[in-house]
Amino acid sequence: MQVRSGRTRFSWGTSLAIGLLVPAIVIPLCLVILNSLMVDGQFDPLTALGVVLAPGVASVLSNTLLLGLLVVAGATAIAFPMAYLAAKTELGEKRWLDVVIIIPFMTPPYIGSMGWILFMQPRGFLEELAPWTAALTPQFFSLGGLVTIMSFHLYPFLYLMLRNSIQRIGQGYEEAGALHGAGFGYRLRRIVIPLLFGSYLMGALLVFVKTIAEFGTPATFGRKIGFYVLTTEIHRLTSSWPIDFGKATALASILLTASLTVWYLQSVMSRKFRYQTLGGKGLRTRPSRLRLLGKSLSWGYVGIVLLLSIGVPYFSIIVASLQKLRGNGLAWGNFTLDHYARLLSWGSPGFKALTNSIGLALLAATFAAVIGTFLALQIRGSATKGQKTTDLFSLLPNTVPGIVIAVGLVLFWNAKWMPIPLYNTYGMAVLTYVVFFLPYTVQYVKASFSQLDDKLFQAGRVYGGTDWYIFRRIALPLLLPGIVAGWMMTFTISARELVASLMLLPPSMHVSATYIFSQFEQGEVSMGMAMAVLTVSLTTIILVIMNQLESYRK
Amino acid sequence: MKKQALMRGKWASLLMIAMLTLSACGGQASTQSSNQGAPEPASAQSAEAPPSETKKPSGKVVVYTAGPAGLADKILEGFQAKTGLTVEQFQGTTGKVLARLEAEKSNPVADIVVLASWPSGMSMKQEGWTQAYTEAVHADRLYDGWVDEDRHLFGYSASALGITYNTKLVDNPPSDWSDLTDAQWTGAVNIPDPSLSGSALDFVSGYLNQYGESGWSLFDALKQNGVTMAGANQEALDPVVTGAKSVVMAGVDYMAYSAKAKGEPVDIVYPASGTVINPRPAMILKDAPNLDNAKLFIDYLLSDEAQALVANAYLLPGRTDVPAKEDRTQVEEIKLLQYDWNWMSENGDDITTQFMNVFK
Repeated sequence: MQVRSGRTRFSWGTSLAIGLLVPAIVIPLCLVILNSLMVDGQFDPLTALGVVLAPGVASVLSNTLLLGLLVVAGATAIAFPMAYLAAKTELGEKRWLDVVIIIPFMTPPYIGSMGWILFMQPRGFLEELAPWTAALTPQFFSLGGLVTIMSFHLYPFLYLMLRNSIQRIGQGYEEAGALHGAGFGYRLRRIVIPLLFGSYLMGALLVFVKTIAEFGTPATFGRKIGFYVLTTEIHRLTSSWPIDFGKATALASILLTASLTVWYLQSVMSRKFRYQTLGGKGLRTRPSRLRLLGKSLSWGYVGIVLLLSIGVPYFSIIVASLQKLRGNGLAWGNFTLDHYARLLSWGSPGFKALTNSIGLALLAATFAAVIGTFLALQIRGSATKGQKTTDLFSLLPNTVPGIVIAVGLVLFWNAKWMPIPLYNTYGMAVLTYVVFFLPYTVQYVKASFSQLDDKLFQAGRVYGGTDWYIFRRIALPLLLPGIVAGWMMTFTISARELVASLMLLPPSMHVSATYIFSQFEQGEVSMGMAMAVLTVSLTTIILVIMNQLESYRK
Repeated sequence: MKKQALMRGKWASLLMIAMLTLSACGGQASTQSSNQGAPEPASAQSAEAPPSETKKPSGKVVVYTAGPAGLADKILEGFQAKTGLTVEQFQGTTGKVLARLEAEKSNPVADIVVLASWPSGMSMKQEGWTQAYTEAVHADRLYDGWVDEDRHLFGYSASALGITYNTKLVDNPPSDWSDLTDAQWTGAVNIPDPSLSGSALDFVSGYLNQYGESGWSLFDALKQNGVTMAGANQEALDPVVTGAKSVVMAGVDYMAYSAKAKGEPVDIVYPASGTVINPRPAMILKDAPNLDNAKLFIDYLLSDEAQALVANAYLLPGRTDVPAKEDRTQVEEIKLLQYDWNWMSENGDDITTQFMNVFK
């Protein structure tokens, strides 16, 4: 790998990087757009536009956008007070809170919403615990319920962004305001909110894109209440008879356009609302001590949020995984570990799915680590055109909704003219995961690389090291933490990826996500839930280990 | 500093492990892909020898099945144990199996397709997807109409559609379909989604076959009464088991019987005006890459061994000489609507579309 390649434009490395990314990501996406403009094999954008404007499509599109807006509002309402409390008060000193708040995001959404359904449905767990709620629970099965579930799943994004920027504002500005006699409300309105607006907007747009790209919750809860969005319709049109790839690609193109527009808005906005809040004075953070009332109110709020975002789904998931008879509810003696025993018995379908998941995740994470590191080294400072292109392409899978890439990969690898027989094989599954999660490694390694001083390499060269030697003995060891972080991230996420697995796994193969989903659809909910508990614990343990190692290094 | 160096050593060893697994699994992946190519010569070889000869079959057979998962797995294991062949199996709902076949039209990989809907099987035959297997062993012992004249479709098993209810919530179960439009069932009834569940589609089209256009008034009234469409059979039944809903209509009976046998509070009635018995067709695809193995698979489905597995799963065995499980209703005790499979398979698509318009 050329450490010096920054000066030569389109070095062999950059060409190779782009050569890898174009067939892996760019062509499949182009195929989606191209296909959506074709009618019966003829290029016919006008008729294709007619498909888009058909009445059914319009309602699906407006459902999607409405859901996005409502979830942004919901996530804001949850995240803002949390972020403020964590940044400004003693609550922020509790390190465990940070870990706990990430849990909802770590929970695969289809499992979480299944948990909600079991909890809230008529004669569900809530009614068993508190029979007087029977009048309220039917209300939950509405758009409001869908927004609630998704907001509690996605608020951590917004929380992290807001908390960091509230911390960065520092006490100085607020103290200056207070000194001049501004009350709390005035300070909030004239100082905190304007300064926060930029990062809030970033977070909000991120939540919006995540919502419209989300498949799991609409597929489980949304379908129950008859609320259909783009992702679920695309999946239905490609996987349930009668299938209609033309319409599916049309919807995929709409989804693609919508999310790219949002990303564009985000980059414009973030340039517009940028304030220099990091001065040379250094940050003083002095968390305010709360009085008893404030303390109990704050903790009460945090408690309720955690209860709703973690308590409810996990209660249902764990209880359902332990139930002997689902018809007997929470009755004493209705609990058994049998489902776990059956899952973990050698050679059972569940066990095979679990080992498939782990095997695929290991392979995908390793390939992604190697390729991602190579790409990150090519991108370096993103100085030349080639580097910028590589950067853009390699981050595309993070920008584009997963289901759109999945459709593109199907179109590309299952095409009649495709000479490489990868479709419907194990290799296809690995390739899919690598494409999906490449951005994580690229970003982590890029971040590590940006911290390295060029002097290190110059020193290596002064002492006569070859490029390969310098890479091996200087760059690689220093980049390792980034590479490993990317590896673990890829491993965790690909172990639970649903939509790509549903669409691209070879016929005889199940992974834990598809196993869980098909148990909900066709088999035993309890087995699915037991698998969910196993997968989530496994990936969480890995993340915790990673977190621990990270803090060791510091 | 020292600690840091130590940690770095750990990271390095972690990566080493990762690299090792990469190379190990890489090797595995390549053997996998070479396996992919292997069956070709193997099947060509066995093509010369008819399956009746003692020559050992080799290779694999690819089965796409809309079977109940447990039964499909048992059949797979039984067949593998008996023949030594490898079965690659995709399980899904009828809708998903059909979609997968359609998506792979340009590169067919499946040999056998098993659907949960007889009319869907008939349309596949009409569209030229399937091929005949006239020498199928025991095909003559199947119920009348559970195998077609050209021997494309083999109804190795069947389910009847009934009204499944939660025994904790329902004291007087409904006795006919039209009872469910009554106010006491408002919001308490599920129906499987006919676009996903072939058997539900068969009920809808069978009902419309007997009652004609006026049959739609039942479905309009049901929709008015808050009947919800809920995924495939299992998804429709699960809320009834947990008590979220009281009744699932036009659900397959074997699921109700298995849940009941397990101890769940459910039971099933067959409507007085009649219902549909739905043979589940197994077919050999026209482009079956492993044709001889596919024939062996059909023979196995109709064998005593597989028929017993079918009965054990509370399905109705296809062969007249194999009784259904003793704690369930037998074929001759179930009253049927008057329907014609040809009509139903011709009108299936339109009915699905119209049903979706009513219920969505």
